[in-house]
Amino acid sequence: MSDAPVIVVGGGPAGLSAATEIARAGLKVLLVDQGQALGGAVHRQPIPSVKSVASAAQKRRWDGVMAALAAQTDKIKICLSTRFCGLDHTGAVLLGGAINQLIRPRALVLALGARETVQPRPGWTLVGVETVGSFQTRLKTTGQAPAGRILLAGSGPLLLALGAELTRLGNPPAAIIEAGRPFNHPLTALRLPFSYWAEACQYIIRLRLAGVPILNASHLTAIRSDSGHLLAEVETPHGHKQFTIDHIGLHDGIRPNDIGLPDCAALPVIRVGDCHEALGARAAIADGRAGGAALAAQLLGRPAPAADPEIKRQRDAQARLAQIYTHNGAERLHHLPGDTVICRCEARSVDDLRALGPSPTARQLRLDGRFAMGPCQGRFCADWVNQLSGTKPPQSGIGAARWPARPIAVADLLAATDDTLGDIL
Amino acid sequence: MSCTMFWNGTPIPFRNGESVANALLIAGISQFGTAFAGQPRAVFCGIGLCQGCLIRADGCLTEACLLAARDGLHLSPEAGGSDV
Repeated sequence: MSDAPVIVVGGGPAGLSAATEIARAGLKVLLVDQGQALGGAVHRQPIPSVKSVASAAQKRRWDGVMAALAAQTDKIKICLSTRFCGLDHTGAVLLGGAINQLIRPRALVLALGARETVQPRPGWTLVGVETVGSFQTRLKTTGQAPAGRILLAGSGPLLLALGAELTRLGNPPAAIIEAGRPFNHPLTALRLPFSYWAEACQYIIRLRLAGVPILNASHLTAIRSDSGHLLAEVETPHGHKQFTIDHIGLHDGIRPNDIGLPDCAALPVIRVGDCHEALGARAAIADGRAGGAALAAQLLGRPAPAADPEIKRQRDAQARLAQIYTHNGAERLHHLPGDTVICRCEARSVDDLRALGPSPTARQLRLDGRFAMGPCQGRFCADWVNQLSGTKPPQSGIGAARWPARPIAVADLLAATDDTLGDIL
Repeated sequence: MSCTMFWNGTPIPFRNGESVANALLIAGISQFGTAFAGQPRAVFCGIGLCQGCLIRADGCLTEACLLAARDGLHLSPEAGGSDV
């Protein structure tokens, strides 16, 4: 058992930093990632023939993570194209893909990053509508902006980041529709760390120079398909606007990607980075290091290391950002047309939810309503269903942690070699 | 390596290391099938969470955004029915 590796899931900054610290303490690590290269979402690396679009600051941060990892490679085995499927009550971990195995590790580190929140709107299931993060990862790997006109809508600094990157690659967005009023909070903004300022200024200058309209306190209220294009209806404080475009990027913030991850009494399990607390890439490195070092100390019976003040600094910065971008967009949920799709997997609508009556139980929501029963397991509907139906996650609402972590093909389950039998016999 | 895969039999070029979803999108194919409730299958989250881009690749149902493009891969739309 003591020879079993610690499994780290996720090859982004948090997972790699955790793996580095665990290996530094002398323990073996098996690091798996579902992607074809290390990097995660924020530090997604370009394909071999493409030049990186990362900023100098991003490159420095990534080089630091990789240099620390390189010093520990003798203890870390990295397996790409390998998915974490789940963890059972005995502490056995099922991996699928390049490694298709049931393994009993010494401990499990979950560094699965964040999921984007995207508020439902009529037409958000149309082809051409994606999350801002989806456009961003594609841009980072392929080094090119999508062809056609793009509109970005929702809330948060990621809209500006993607807008600036699209501009740099020669296809500035038609507009950025921001629900908040970020420029109305100068005093809070002043208290952000300098690096946040530097980044935001770069983005805004690039967007302004390219003449990209940034419409604040504005909402993308509906999307329609019209002769091969998308028609976007936008409400601004100065009236209604319509855009004819080809792509729409939506983003309303990030949450930990922690759905399908129940705790396990039989195995030490920790979560690091955005999967633990969605604080962004800067905090992910610090949290990965701290979590990895603390886990290694626990496994080896050594005293716990001191907390890293960087995590609190980033938590404060993220809280200020949230204040700056605060808006009442969530109230719009209650005024959505009845046929608006809430559950993307099974196309369940606001009317389907209302048909369950007032205060439906989680069981009713799932079994009668079919909400959070599709293959995304509620990652994109549970928040909204819980808000609309007045239930509170995770105990009484839907979207509570339960097996598996992702859809698993029966064929993969049957083909998985079981490396846990030796432990039991 | 010629770096060609096939969408319904039509050759689709890709670059080494590219995902199936990105190669298809660059080739102008954005709808990958139809889910059982009639909604289009297409890239939404791009990182394997939403399951919106499920596609048949050499017969297996899988996320187009996570699958590495490879030479000779046969892709076809998934028309619902047998969902995951």
